[in-house]
Amino acid sequence: MRKADIIVALGLMLVGFIVLADTIRLGFGWGMSGPEAGFFPFYMGLGIVICTFFIVLRGIKIYKKEGSGKPIVAEGGLTQILWVLIPAAGMVLLAELVGLHLATVLYLAFYMGVVGKMHWVKVALVSLLIPLAVYIVFDKLFLIPLPEGLWGGNIMALIPF
Amino acid sequence: MGGKYYGSYTLLIPTELRHGRDVAPHKRKTKYHVLPCGAPSGKPEGGTKLDILNNFNNLMMGLSVAMQPYNLMIAVIGLILGIIVGVLPGLGGANGCAILIPITFAMPPTAAVILLACVYWGALYGGSICSILFNIPGEPWAVAVTFDGYPMAKSGRAGKALVLSSLSHGVGAVIGVFLLTFFAPIIAEFALKFGPPETAAVMILTFSAMTRLGGKSVLKSLVAIFLGFILAAVGMDIVSGKLRMTYGTVPLMGGFSFIVAVIGLFGIGEMFLTVEEGLKMEGIKARVRLKDVWDALREMVRYRKILMMGSLIGCWLGIQPGGATPASFMAYGFAKSSAADKDQYGKGASSGIIAPEAAGHGAGTSATLPMITLGIPGSPTMAVIMGGLMIWGLQPGPMLFKEHADFVWGLIGSIWVANFVGLFLVLAFVPLFAAILRIKFSILMPVIIYVCAIGAYAVNNRMIDIYYMIIFGIVGFLFKKLDYPIAPMVLALVLGNMAETAVRQALIMGRGNPIIFFRPPIALPLVMLALFLFFLPTLSKWKQRLSAKKETKS
Repeated sequence: MRKADIIVALGLMLVGFIVLADTIRLGFGWGMSGPEAGFFPFYMGLGIVICTFFIVLRGIKIYKKEGSGKPIVAEGGLTQILWVLIPAAGMVLLAELVGLHLATVLYLAFYMGVVGKMHWVKVALVSLLIPLAVYIVFDKLFLIPLPEGLWGGNIMALIPF
Repeated sequence: MGGKYYGSYTLLIPTELRHGRDVAPHKRKTKYHVLPCGAPSGKPEGGTKLDILNNFNNLMMGLSVAMQPYNLMIAVIGLILGIIVGVLPGLGGANGCAILIPITFAMPPTAAVILLACVYWGALYGGSICSILFNIPGEPWAVAVTFDGYPMAKSGRAGKALVLSSLSHGVGAVIGVFLLTFFAPIIAEFALKFGPPETAAVMILTFSAMTRLGGKSVLKSLVAIFLGFILAAVGMDIVSGKLRMTYGTVPLMGGFSFIVAVIGLFGIGEMFLTVEEGLKMEGIKARVRLKDVWDALREMVRYRKILMMGSLIGCWLGIQPGGATPASFMAYGFAKSSAADKDQYGKGASSGIIAPEAAGHGAGTSATLPMITLGIPGSPTMAVIMGGLMIWGLQPGPMLFKEHADFVWGLIGSIWVANFVGLFLVLAFVPLFAAILRIKFSILMPVIIYVCAIGAYAVNNRMIDIYYMIIFGIVGFLFKKLDYPIAPMVLALVLGNMAETAVRQALIMGRGNPIIFFRPPIALPLVMLALFLFFLPTLSKWKQRLSAKKETKS
């Protein structure tokens, strides 16, 4: 936990420095018409750097005194999180190819079948009906187009309505 | 004007003209006097009697807007969606609203805001169903309800606990909306005098209150706020038109949408937390019988003092940003300390449910007040609704009352209507809503992520936003774990442009001298209050330390 605290603070400090670099390029002083474009983000970046510096300092102090403490992710928690994260990331990547709806059909089927170990009839019903309902509501009723991906449009064209 | 005056139309008349002297245009001071047209001209300031009457008329107009069949239907849909969203883990009011924003593009603004506001009220009701029946707080401010709500439900009085909670919600809401109805126009009138320095001062006050109320580390709160402002600044600078912090990449040019951030930070991050803790949904079956309603009503009358106190604490803290959670804890604490039967607390005391529930909903309702009058949202959900307002082309703030009176009063009217409808919905359909939580997690989880992805995508129709959502989810998880507060970050992201513009304009006004932020008569006390709030805990700590030292010396 304490190690992670220090690492995250250092990461945020890095973000602060990256911001500072760009705002210095833009100029953070007084320009032709008042404060320049980099003015506001410069001070925000500076604030992050200063605050994270103290967070790191305090983190190291506590770390030396009391050791690393509990791990940030509870025991067995990481696998659980990865079981959520990796299929979700896979779904998004798949959506680039076949569109969000079709990717979701596969995603729901995968998650319910493999992780939830449910009966295949239920799996098929839910994983087909939910994306279909969303498709009707968004694409047809509210006319909000959802991502079709590279080939999704061609595949969806096969659906008669 | 035909005599009927809704208090919404004003003329901006130069002061000199009003007094009947015309001055050459270049000599005119730019001071404008706000004169409500149609109001009896003999009393330009308007007696208090007239004001109240106007408010009443406006409220009636708002109610009639809210009661239109279309708006009423939207309200009911919003409430149902809100209750579902509030019951589900990982979805809350904030991301429920964020996901729905793309749908609202197709609606008139009044209906759109009614939908989002009703999702919020529904989520407020739904959050306590989850707390009471499952001992899982659906929202942070619903934590205090679990202390007594769950034990009461466990001892077989689930129905009574639910009725108590929803009725307290109703009372808190009514008191909150009552304040809103009668104070919002006054505050809006006052806020019309605000210039950029005053706006900046209000922002400073907002964020200093938020840093302190969260109860988290000050440094980490500050980092969260700064990060929010930086994320808001990515992309095109609205003043100079320069590209900022894009580092030559195209996706960053569009900037970060607060909607995506909210969905990621609250929705996906919460989901990670839920699976990490390995939650088991073991709920208590509940049915609301008439006897429960009767019982609960009797208890409410018995604890009317605690009920009122809870609502007032809620309303007071709700006006300040981030107030709902501390309000519910504070109300619980007050109820406990003032109770005669302290040992009942934690075992299912009625007043232990009444106080935090009334405070939570009071705070939620009164969070609307700073949003529509000052353009400062009082809670993350309000921040999302305010972001929606900006997307619909409405500028939140005092001018809203003048330019879009039907919108504002429609919203206020809908709060009155929606809370009564919501109360009925919750009481009538509790078993149905509780059943949602019994759906297997392996169905719920992917569906929630799917819905979140749709919401994130539909804001700008950009695929990259879905990736951002997942990244924000990881960030949200880390932040929650390491005690970085998320709400101030979201608030900063929404307010980013407004705050930056205010600061820059104020500095231009002051010709680069920051003393302009301490301009009397309005900005100075606001900034002083902000500094006072910010340093108060530090000062009291020092005081304690000093007195401790003295004691050891003596």
